[in-house]
Amino acid sequence: MNQPSIQADIQAGVRADDGIEKGGLLLQVDNISLSFGGVKAISNISFDVKKGEIRAIIGPNGAGKTSMLNVINGFYHPQEGKITFRGKERISMRPHEAVGQGIARTFQNVALFKGMSTLDNIMTGRSELMKKNMFWQMLWHGPALSEEVEHRTRVEDIIDFLEIQHIRRTPVGNLPYGLQKRVELGRALAMEPSLLLLDEPMAGMNLEEKEDMSRFIIEVNQQFGTTIALIEHDMGVVMDLSDRIVVLDYGKKIADGAPEEVRNNQDVIDAYLGVPH
Amino acid sequence: MLYRITGQFKTNYRSDYALFPVRQDMFLLAVILFFAWVVFPLMASEFAFQTLLIPVLIYALAALGLNILTGYAGQLSLGTGAFMGVGAYACYKLVTIFPDLNLMLAIGFSGLFSAAIGLAFGLPSLRIKGFYLAIATLAAQFFLVWLFEKWSWLYNYNASGAIQVPTIDMFGITVSGPTASSMVQYYFVLFIVSVITILAINITRGRIGRMWKAVRDMDIAAELVGINLLRAKLIAFGVSSYIVGVSGALFVFLWRGAAEPNLFDIPLSFRILFIAIIGGLGSILGNFLGAILIIALPVILNIIPEAFGVEVDSSLLEHINIMIIGALIIAVLIIEPHGLARIWAVIREKLIIWPFPH
Repeated sequence: MNQPSIQADIQAGVRADDGIEKGGLLLQVDNISLSFGGVKAISNISFDVKKGEIRAIIGPNGAGKTSMLNVINGFYHPQEGKITFRGKERISMRPHEAVGQGIARTFQNVALFKGMSTLDNIMTGRSELMKKNMFWQMLWHGPALSEEVEHRTRVEDIIDFLEIQHIRRTPVGNLPYGLQKRVELGRALAMEPSLLLLDEPMAGMNLEEKEDMSRFIIEVNQQFGTTIALIEHDMGVVMDLSDRIVVLDYGKKIADGAPEEVRNNQDVIDAYLGVPH
Repeated sequence: MLYRITGQFKTNYRSDYALFPVRQDMFLLAVILFFAWVVFPLMASEFAFQTLLIPVLIYALAALGLNILTGYAGQLSLGTGAFMGVGAYACYKLVTIFPDLNLMLAIGFSGLFSAAIGLAFGLPSLRIKGFYLAIATLAAQFFLVWLFEKWSWLYNYNASGAIQVPTIDMFGITVSGPTASSMVQYYFVLFIVSVITILAINITRGRIGRMWKAVRDMDIAAELVGINLLRAKLIAFGVSSYIVGVSGALFVFLWRGAAEPNLFDIPLSFRILFIAIIGGLGSILGNFLGAILIIALPVILNIIPEAFGVEVDSSLLEHINIMIIGALIIAVLIIEPHGLARIWAVIREKLIIWPFPH
């Protein structure tokens, strides 16, 4: 294997190279409001994500966390406010264009391609990076095969990293939930994103699986230098993993800061435990 | 035992992408190709060429085209028959306008017309899905067949309203028309079907194939991994309609010899859809197995009593035939809803570990 590994590549800054220093501003969300008919899902929220950090978004059910992620990756279009990503203000765009800019995500309910194997699922994450056109695809031997092998090498690195070698050929529909979540993370990593959005990566997992997943998230962040924004309900995990936390409640931002600040914030405690009226 | 794969190691990714990573598969395919290219043509009678070999290949090709759209990209279509018609009429116009055109080129070009019309009818697929899309393709079916009937330019203002295949020579050999030999026609069809099948295998196992499967399995997630949904679906419509159009041209020029508009009506679309479903959606091999079951088996069943010297009334035979085929279709779909190709895959898995159960 003479190909450079994905780690080396990202350290060299192939795709993650967005010209932003570690700690610089990667994503900025300004005064975003989103409503569906009369229902206000998000009202007037602003926060930022700095390069290289793990940023958590928490809040009780229905607080608008997933809607926020959907806004960031272009799935919903907010009525007001602006999003600046890599220093450029974003105009309204389709999700696949957001991917082209380097935003990848995983889903709350696993959204894998059930009929395909683990390998093919992760390879799909590289669709955007593969360039050979239909003519070469039809010939197969030659440039298309070389490209396929090149990307396969990268994907195998990710498979090694996530320790899922044994399920490479298994259709993902047959895998247990914890492994499916891991494959989904693999697919997102295959996109070599500069911002990785994780929607409840640990939902429905047992303790051991949570520990594995936490380890992967930290390693992705520290080894690959990928910036991560995650939504999670397990407070222990959130407090341990994240550098900064945004707290949402009923579509409004009620707190923003380091884990200790947020933990001691009276509004946050009220939102989670409720206040007597 | 026969299918043991132990000891066949892959030491690099390139060899892992071989078409047949298992040596026995390659051997089996070689045997089938040997039969298709050498044994069948030498042994077949005129009857076998015209009722078994040629139609099975053409129907399998049409089903392959549909399978790319429905089995791989997940877009249900009920307009296959009409798209075959587009290929056939385009080919007819091409050979009458340019009488010197090589027939193989004419057939290749006629697929492009079908692909263009397929793209146009594929545009709604971004907005509508599933059964609703099927209804939209049904509109294509009815509209195109109506057009074949009403637009007399298409059949050169023929009084009968039908297209009659002219006699065409290629390199001094007659390939179409009433005087063409069946063996030549068989080789012509076999060549085109083989080439398109190889290209289809290549396109479905690479990036584009994965894109289609991703769109089929979960379109929202596909969009969020960076796949342009409209583009992926339109490529599927284009490629599928191209193959279907080519099969339509073959259908008329190398098999039927003449065609009326109602030949391309909805029963043809259903027939091809059944071949694809029974053969196995999302499989290339399945189209051939499905075509053998639906097209060849009735013919074989029809000649069995005669072969054994049993006298059976022909209408009774016809009814028995329909009952047997119907029962078989139901049985296949109950045993394995994913079709004949999956049955073969299961058998192959079993053969690999046989005689040990694990």
